[in-house]
Amino acid sequence: MSENILVIGGGPAGLNAAVMLSELGVNVALVERDSFLGGNPKKFKYKFLFPDMQPADNVIGELIKKAESGGNIKVYYSSEVSDFKENGKKFDAVIKSASGSETKTFDSVIVATGFEHFDPARDAKYSYQLFDDVIDIKDLERMMGENNFVRPSNGKPPKKVAFILCVGSRDRHVGNQYCSRVCCTVSVKQAIEMREHFPDCEAYIFYMDIRTYGFFEDLYWKAMEEHDVQIVKGRIAEITSGPDNTVVCKGEDTLLRGPFEIPFDMVVLASGMEGGPQSPEISSKLGIELDEHGFLKPENVTLSPFKSNKPGVFLAGACTGPKAISDSITEGAAAAMNAYTYAVKNR
Amino acid sequence: MEYDENGVSIVPADLKKEIFEEARKDFRYEEYVRGCLNCGVCTGGCPPHRFFDFSPRIVLQKMKSKDPELIWTMMDEYVWACFQCFTCAMICPFLNSPGGVIAILREIAVRRGFESAKKVLKPYSRVLLKLTAYGNQLSPDMIQPDFFPDWGPHIGYASTDLAVKRKAIPMPTLQVTNLAWDVAPETMKELYDIFDEAGVFKIIEAVDPSLYEIIQDIVDDVRSS
Repeated sequence: MSENILVIGGGPAGLNAAVMLSELGVNVALVERDSFLGGNPKKFKYKFLFPDMQPADNVIGELIKKAESGGNIKVYYSSEVSDFKENGKKFDAVIKSASGSETKTFDSVIVATGFEHFDPARDAKYSYQLFDDVIDIKDLERMMGENNFVRPSNGKPPKKVAFILCVGSRDRHVGNQYCSRVCCTVSVKQAIEMREHFPDCEAYIFYMDIRTYGFFEDLYWKAMEEHDVQIVKGRIAEITSGPDNTVVCKGEDTLLRGPFEIPFDMVVLASGMEGGPQSPEISSKLGIELDEHGFLKPENVTLSPFKSNKPGVFLAGACTGPKAISDSITEGAAAAMNAYTYAVKNR
Repeated sequence: MEYDENGVSIVPADLKKEIFEEARKDFRYEEYVRGCLNCGVCTGGCPPHRFFDFSPRIVLQKMKSKDPELIWTMMDEYVWACFQCFTCAMICPFLNSPGGVIAILREIAVRRGFESAKKVLKPYSRVLLKLTAYGNQLSPDMIQPDFFPDWGPHIGYASTDLAVKRKAIPMPTLQVTNLAWDVAPETMKELYDIFDEAGVFKIIEAVDPSLYEIIQDIVDDVRSS
């Protein structure tokens, strides 16, 4: 008889875990809260992925296709784990969906519940939702994805756009002290895309530190050298409205200009990643630990980042902290291997 | 007082070190000075930064440098440019308080009767007198064109015929111009005790000895009444 493994969350990490387990002949129950697979990349219509600008569909679409055609995966759409109990070394879970509730016993569990984009409206200084032309990186990603890159205020193409880094990250006021890791690279990527498709539009990036770690640094240099993106050291203190329907970024250029007030047609906020309401929810439901940042806590952050504190329950992807899609996919595979080993040992 | 080519007063290195140690020992220091990544949000949002060469980011950075020489450069005029609006403390992502650091440094300058403190506080001697001696901050007779240019073009008119204008106020007043309201002697005595305990009189003695004498005469009169 083959193993039964529960995967919670159908984003990059959960999808890859499910696909790999399916290939091992495991019966996978993939529980997804949305009516579609693909997680945040799908939900917010990410278009091109860093570092190589390949279409997101090559990655997410591919994983979804494999998951949906994998014979051993049963996908539960618009569903949740409503009850969870340990049963010896196994687990009894109730999966609740529109078509009713189903109780099943699983040999092991993978939690891949992901992250939420920080809501920039929570930090009033950025005037998000106050001015139409202040958007965030997920909004821009969607606009680019829909080939609709115009100023929301008047439907015209912008001539000058600012990217503001560290929105909702590294800020004790909003309660997020951590770095969200990918927003620098995403912003640099978006600035390059923008300059490629709309060469008339100037791009500015306001930063405290630019953290395009590892090979992502190539994009940072490329933005400067090939696309003439203006990179200014200074975090924005306030966004106000300016003359001629502009939005004004106010701050201190700590290296060159000193205090500045620069009008822009559009401002893009690099909002960070949060554990979201699902993290504490799944933490209490499954009896696994939450960390001080609001994400799920690995048993050992270095030795076993894919294990929860509860034997048999494994973690994958951005539910344990901000990370790139590639990292989530890697962790999906690592969690799959560990969940499989646990299931086989306790058969 | 002699000044170097950068306009910084020349004092012994030991004094600079003492000032730094005094600031660091302040009970608020740990709360006000945390990490700083030079993001510039504080300075970007700082109102006096629009008018003067004053940057809360520099204040915090100099404090964090723990270099007595650097900290001393702020003690002459720099600390007095701050409006003490605490916008910096409100918006700093690290929850630093550059405005709070300024408050600590100013208090040191006042306690020690530094020249800069004397100069800055001079225009306030009338307020200090009213407040410490009578428990009033502002009274009608203090309204004079020279002292309140920021009150607009009608200050000249407002400062004449005070006694008549006072009578025209359609609510009970003391009908006097040297006080805004009456403070009972018992209340005054309590106020003096508080000022004694808090070291307020000592501070006034350090920054304005002649004002201190005037105030003490009044205090003695009230206390012995």
